[in-house]
Amino acid sequence: MDKNITAIMDIICEILDVENEQVQAETYVIRDLGAESIDLLELAVTLSDLFKIEISDEDIFLKSLRGYIEDAKDRKISPETLLAERYPFLCQSRIRDILADLDEGPVLKVRDLLDYVQQKTA
Amino acid sequence: MKLEFSGKRALVLGGSCKTGCVLAQRMKDNGIFPLLSYKSCAGRKRLEETFGCNPAGMDIFPLDFSRTQAALSMLEKKISTRIDYLVDFAQGDYESFVASANDDAVRSYFNDNITFRALAVKRISRAMLRQKKGKLIFISSIAAKRPNPGQGFYAAAKLASEAMYKNTGLELGAKGITTLVLRPGYIASGRGKAFLENKGHTIRKQIPTGQVLEPGQVADAVMFFLSDHAGQFNAAQITLDSGFSAGKK
Repeated sequence: MDKNITAIMDIICEILDVENEQVQAETYVIRDLGAESIDLLELAVTLSDLFKIEISDEDIFLKSLRGYIEDAKDRKISPETLLAERYPFLCQSRIRDILADLDEGPVLKVRDLLDYVQQKTA
Repeated sequence: MKLEFSGKRALVLGGSCKTGCVLAQRMKDNGIFPLLSYKSCAGRKRLEETFGCNPAGMDIFPLDFSRTQAALSMLEKKISTRIDYLVDFAQGDYESFVASANDDAVRSYFNDNITFRALAVKRISRAMLRQKKGKLIFISSIAAKRPNPGQGFYAAAKLASEAMYKNTGLELGAKGITTLVLRPGYIASGRGKAFLENKGHTIRKQIPTGQVLEPGQVADAVMFFLSDHAGQFNAAQITLDSGFSAGKK
């Protein structure tokens, strides 16, 4: 397994006080693990420290996702296009999955954090 | 009671004021390394007159809130090493009736004293979050409670900053970071000294104990609230004015 995803999963386990087996790349950070705002803040600070990158909390945690989707509707453009602009670290298939998954709750997955970190460190 | 401190390094914003200097000495005496920021040449001069040039056991550095990017870079450099405490004395001076204020002066005053402070508190609290421990004390003023002609902008900046600090304590308390707002009354130093020389007699008559504050008394209070004994104070506001602002007048 990629050492970055392992490091991210370890950090999540420590901050959220969950067991290793509960955290996989496809695990939902908020929906499955119950992360709260304060946990996300600590996660951002720790990831920033570990990978020596500047992190935008708004971007890495997809905080404005639903606002962007509404914005796309208002501007009569495709949500996929706008999300690809706003979140360049997400691939097209992930964006499609996110749009199909919105009604189930917060969509952020562990793999999204990895994609953000990898884009920043590339 | 001998105060105990688990922290070793303290950032003191606006540390060149008289009370900041006294506090820095108290910190040194208690094994805490103070990092004192100053805004102007006058501030640096005051620090050098008090502690000498390049004093041992402390760090002195410029931090002009009006030069946002340079000040943030300097701040980030200073907090890249562990900071256990923050004491924030920094406050610009702008006295004017609200109705006669200069538009540009209002914008820049709020930019320096509210916006920059928010950016600084964000960075400092994030640094403390990494170490899961930290204590922040904002030195406000009783002017935040008692409106005074000409002090509308000063009071507004203090109240806005108080809110930021209190919120930070609420938001990060679970992660070991606590905040406190201290509202001192009239202090016989700095801008308070000149005011008291003119109106001290009248002011003292309004203070139940008849005494204004000395810088050392404020520094002692700050040291107590920084100490391990005051761990349960969080997102709170304490008035330190001998009862001056407690009554109707």
